Amino acid sequence: MNCEIFRETIGSYVDETLEEGRRHWFRTHLRECPTCRESALRDEPSLLFAMAPTAPGKPEAIEACTAAVMARIRQDRLERRLHRRRRPWLAAAAAATLVISGGIAWRTMVVGGSETLQPVVEAQLDAGLQNSPPTVEVEMPGEEVRVYQFANDADADTAVYFIVDPALEL
Amino acid sequence: MNDLQWIQAAKNGDEDAYAKLVRRHSGGLHRTVARILADDAEAWDVVQMAFLKAWQKLDRYDPRFSFTTWLYRIGTNLAIDLLRSRTSRERAHKAGTEHRLRLVGTGEGAGTRADSNETDNVLQQLVEVLTPQQRSAFVLREMEGHETAEVAEVLGCSATTVRNHIFQARKALRRELRLRFPEYLPASERG
Repeated sequence: MNCEIFRETIGSYVDETLEEGRRHWFRTHLRECPTCRESALRDEPSLLFAMAPTAPGKPEAIEACTAAVMARIRQDRLERRLHRRRRPWLAAAAAATLVISGGIAWRTMVVGGSETLQPVVEAQLDAGLQNSPPTVEVEMPGEEVRVYQFANDADADTAVYFIVDPALEL
Repeated sequence: MNDLQWIQAAKNGDEDAYAKLVRRHSGGLHRTVARILADDAEAWDVVQMAFLKAWQKLDRYDPRFSFTTWLYRIGTNLAIDLLRSRTSRERAHKAGTEHRLRLVGTGEGAGTRADSNETDNVLQQLVEVLTPQQRSAFVLREMEGHETAEVAEVLGCSATTVRNHIFQARKALRRELRLRFPEYLPASERG
C-alpha cells in the first residue's frame, strides 16, 4: 500500500507540490524501499540526491571549529578594545613627540646648530589619562621614532604596542 | 537550554554560551556549505567566518526568527560570494583534479549502488553545472530537507524563485547524471 502511494506521489514531489509533511515520509520511503527507489530513479534520476545523509559532522572537527571560532572572537574583541584604547595615549604621544621635535629643531636652528643631538630622547607619560598604559617611552634615534606602551601586569589581555612609524597611525 | 537562551547569554557576554551554539550548529552548517562549494576544507573556513560574523551582529538578531535560518543565511551568502569570486579557470582546474569518485562500476541497480558518501561525491562532480543560487536552493531543499519557505528566507528570495531554482537544477542534474553517471541509474535506464 505504501509503495503504491509512493509511486503515485513521485510526480508531485518533483513538481514541489507535495505538502511538507508528506515530503518527509516520501524521502524516508525512498531510502528504505529498494523497489520504489529503482522505480523513482527511473522516473527522475535527480532523486538520487534526496538520499544524501544528514548526519552530524565528526565530533573532533566540530570541536576544532568551535575552538577556532572562539579564538577569533577573543582576538576580535581584544583588537576592538585596543583600538579604543589606542587613540587617547597616541594623541598624547603625538603631542609629546611634536613638542620634543619642535624643541630640538628650535635648539638646532635658532639657539645654535653646533650642539649635538641627543641620540635618544625619552618622555615619560605617567599622567592620569584614563585607560592609558602605565608607561609610554618615546625614542628619537636619528630619523626614526619609536613608541612603546607597556601593559599593566594586572591586565589579563596584555597589550604591548611597537609602532615604528607613528605617522602612519596618526 | 535552547538556542534563544544561549543567544541571550551570549549577548550578555557569555562566551561559553556562544561556544555551545557553535558546537550545536557547526556540523549541519558545514555539511550544507561543503555541498554548495564542493569543497570540505574550504567549507570549514566559511563556517568559522559565518559564526564570527554572527557574533559581531548578534545585537541585530531578531529572536522572532529561527537562529538556524539566520545563521544559514550568513553562511550561504558567504559561500555564494566565494563561488562568485572563483574564476572559471580555478573551477575548471578543480573539477579536473579533485573529487575523484571512489566507486564507479557496473552491474548492480541504482538502489544498491549509491551509499551516502557516494551521493555527495556524485554531487561534487556535477555541481559545477549549476549556478550558485541553484546549488544553494537544491542543497538546502533536496539534500538537507528544509522547507521552501525556509530556503526562501535563507536565500532572500520568494518561494516561487526557490521552486524555479530547484526545477532548473533538477533538469541540469538529470541530464548530467544520464550522461556522466549512468551506473547510478536503474538498469532499464542504462540501456
